[in-house]
Amino acid sequence: MTEPRPACFHCGEPCEDDRFHVEWEGATRPVCCAGCQAVFELIHRAGLGRYYRFREGEGVRAPGDPEALADDWSAIDRNPAFRGADLGDGFFELMLQVEGVHCAACAWLIRSRLEPLAGVRRVSVDIASGFTQVEYIPEQAPPSRLAHELARFGYRPHLPLAGDAERVRLDERRAAMRRLGVAGLGMMQVMMYAVGLYAGDALGIGETARRFLAWTSLLVTIPVVFYSGLPFFRGAAAALRARRPGMDLPVALAIGIAFGASCVNFLRGQGDVYFDSVVMFVFFLSIARYVQMSQRQRNARAGAALARLLPEWADRLADNGTERVPAALLVAGDHVRVKPGRAFPADGVITEGRTRVDEAVLTGESRPAWRTVGDAVVAGVVNRDAPVTLEVRHAGAETAISALGRRMLAARGEHRTGLADRLAGAFIVAVLVLATAAAAWWSWADPARALPAALAVLVVSCPCALALATPAALAAASRALLKRGVLLSRGEALEPLARADTVVFDKTGTLTLGEPTLEHILLNPARAEWTDEQALAIAAAIEADSAHPLARAFTPGGTLPRAERARLHVGAGLSAHIDGHRYRLGTAALVGMPDDAGDEGIWLADDQGWIATFRVRDRLRDDAVEVTRALRAAGVELRILSGDDERAVSEVADALGITHWQSRQAPDDKIAALEQLRAAGRTVVMVGDGVNDAPVLAAADASISVHGATELAQGAADMALVGAGLAGVTTARDMAIRTRRLVRQNLAWAIGYNTLAVPLAFSGWLQPWMAALGMSASSLLVVGNAARLARPGS
Amino acid sequence: MSIIYLMIPLALVLVAVAVWALVWAIRSGQFDDLESQGWSVVLDDDEKPPADKEEGEP
Repeated sequence: MTEPRPACFHCGEPCEDDRFHVEWEGATRPVCCAGCQAVFELIHRAGLGRYYRFREGEGVRAPGDPEALADDWSAIDRNPAFRGADLGDGFFELMLQVEGVHCAACAWLIRSRLEPLAGVRRVSVDIASGFTQVEYIPEQAPPSRLAHELARFGYRPHLPLAGDAERVRLDERRAAMRRLGVAGLGMMQVMMYAVGLYAGDALGIGETARRFLAWTSLLVTIPVVFYSGLPFFRGAAAALRARRPGMDLPVALAIGIAFGASCVNFLRGQGDVYFDSVVMFVFFLSIARYVQMSQRQRNARAGAALARLLPEWADRLADNGTERVPAALLVAGDHVRVKPGRAFPADGVITEGRTRVDEAVLTGESRPAWRTVGDAVVAGVVNRDAPVTLEVRHAGAETAISALGRRMLAARGEHRTGLADRLAGAFIVAVLVLATAAAAWWSWADPARALPAALAVLVVSCPCALALATPAALAAASRALLKRGVLLSRGEALEPLARADTVVFDKTGTLTLGEPTLEHILLNPARAEWTDEQALAIAAAIEADSAHPLARAFTPGGTLPRAERARLHVGAGLSAHIDGHRYRLGTAALVGMPDDAGDEGIWLADDQGWIATFRVRDRLRDDAVEVTRALRAAGVELRILSGDDERAVSEVADALGITHWQSRQAPDDKIAALEQLRAAGRTVVMVGDGVNDAPVLAAADASISVHGATELAQGAADMALVGAGLAGVTTARDMAIRTRRLVRQNLAWAIGYNTLAVPLAFSGWLQPWMAALGMSASSLLVVGNAARLARPGS
Repeated sequence: MSIIYLMIPLALVLVAVAVWALVWAIRSGQFDDLESQGWSVVLDDDEKPPADKEEGEP
């Protein structure tokens, strides 16, 4: 029953039966459902079959019915507020967030489908975020039409609610890039002139030529300092106003002093100028700033992924039936109708109807729970069985799930600073103190040499090697990890990962596959005429139309008997007629067995009584045992924090030999448990997959999301496993330990070089050109050393 | 050595042009997506979608 099922050629989900096939490049490939088959046919017929050759990862599952989606979106066509920015010439710019964009092939597919549509001018797709900009004429190509087209190809468009935020992010990114570019080009120029000046010092240079080179250096340095360096001065000013000195303050001071002193020396016509150091300083710091900004933006996007969990539309009850409105516009007191199979659009209380809801998204609990009139439900939870009416209590940003997202971002924001940051901060302060000390000492000993000596200290300790030591190692580690199936999104996380002494796992979907698998069939010994296969076929036929997650466990091959007059027994199970016999499938009570006969199972009975019991279980990931064993052998303590019930958790914990586990943990409980561990002085790595894991992933010292994790969890985690197993956890840990060793070597070198060079500069023995040479050699050494990480082995 | 009085101002002009080109490129979105454009060489060739492709339903 547990042999691997073939993966769908289009979406990669396991195929539940072999009913659907497609022909591609002369071979028959399995697909999982009619939707995926239709999407494949469409892509192929449109001559875009090469998508399958170039895509990375699988496509998304066909998002239901394009017609229904277009129907939803037609509300947008009529609402001018959602048209996007008016470009003036009849075109509007619509910002969509498209779900399912993985790679360049997806972006290409979207562009080549949308751009030929009448009324569409330009389409651009950002692969990383799925944000898609469309320039279009609303009258000719209404949004519903664009949505329909995207859905036909297996992508799911989402409302452009986050459009403004994304536009701000784009502007910020472009501004940072401009600053970086100006600093880089300026640095190249000034370094060139500096070579001339240093060579002149060594070989002799005319005073006019010298003045001229200094002049040009000054000319180029001005825009670098006042344009590229502006964010540092602003940051420093803000820090002063807030009376909380941050990293910007020493940086701005160093830039300001070095630039000011160079200008003074230049105008006096004596003493050295250090424009080269100034531009280099600004350039390297701008790089660091750019990287930081990219990471921050990625975090913010993870927050935007939350929006996708909530339905965009709600059916609000009006005087005459229902009207479709964007869920974001709901207010407390509205009544909305929620159909089965849809997620609740807002937090609220059920006022009519009775249904089962799937809360896996919030609690990790895999079994649906019953909700009826008076019960509270939260947005994002999926309605399973029957239509209900909901009275809205909290909508939009006030929903529990939005709060979850904010908590995750907050946990992110106060994220501990890495070793490199602490060192760099301490280093800059030390340099400033030393420079001041040099100035003080020389103004007492020989006032004429005070400024040159102070500046020499600043120059020679230009933190190139130090600044490069960690990023170079992290970049190499990140490349090496990607080759081994681990996507590193926050490099600094490698440091806590290397010294971690505790690894906390989520259960459902992390240690296990997160979907029920049929484990065992127990036949009634008194009913000898029944075989496993027959019982399973009947059960599968009854469950065939059920959205119940356990229905997925019943997946026999071949054709199923037809079930008729299927009926849902609330809270108990299903019944149906097959070949004239009435069958019941569900709890022990439903089939008339005593409850204490063991509730862990799905019971099948006909009118003569009990036939069989199916034991269904969430299966462990294939390599879970080996990985946990390897981690334990390395002296790491393992724990499980799960939202599931005690019985399910203890079963998994026993199978893996994990003695510390806690069940029924809400996201807040998980964070509390994590904080407790950290308060006890432990360094904690969290491995998880669900939305409910996101805050705790963000709060852990280092965090890993597994294959198939929700987008929110991936965004919250420091690294994501690309492969199906858990082996990436040990791979990442090994790599982290190697990286830590290498970073230490690099830092030792950089600090050693500086401790040697700074006293020489302090005492005035070191010529600037010697310092420049030593600085470059030291940077090269650091980068070369880091490249060793990418080598396989060890 | 007096050639530097010509060459360096020329170099400065070139740098100014380079900065202008960079700013233009950034502003027109050339650096927004560094991945998919590289693929377009591989993907966008003679295999165009059929011209008679259905116009989609309204």
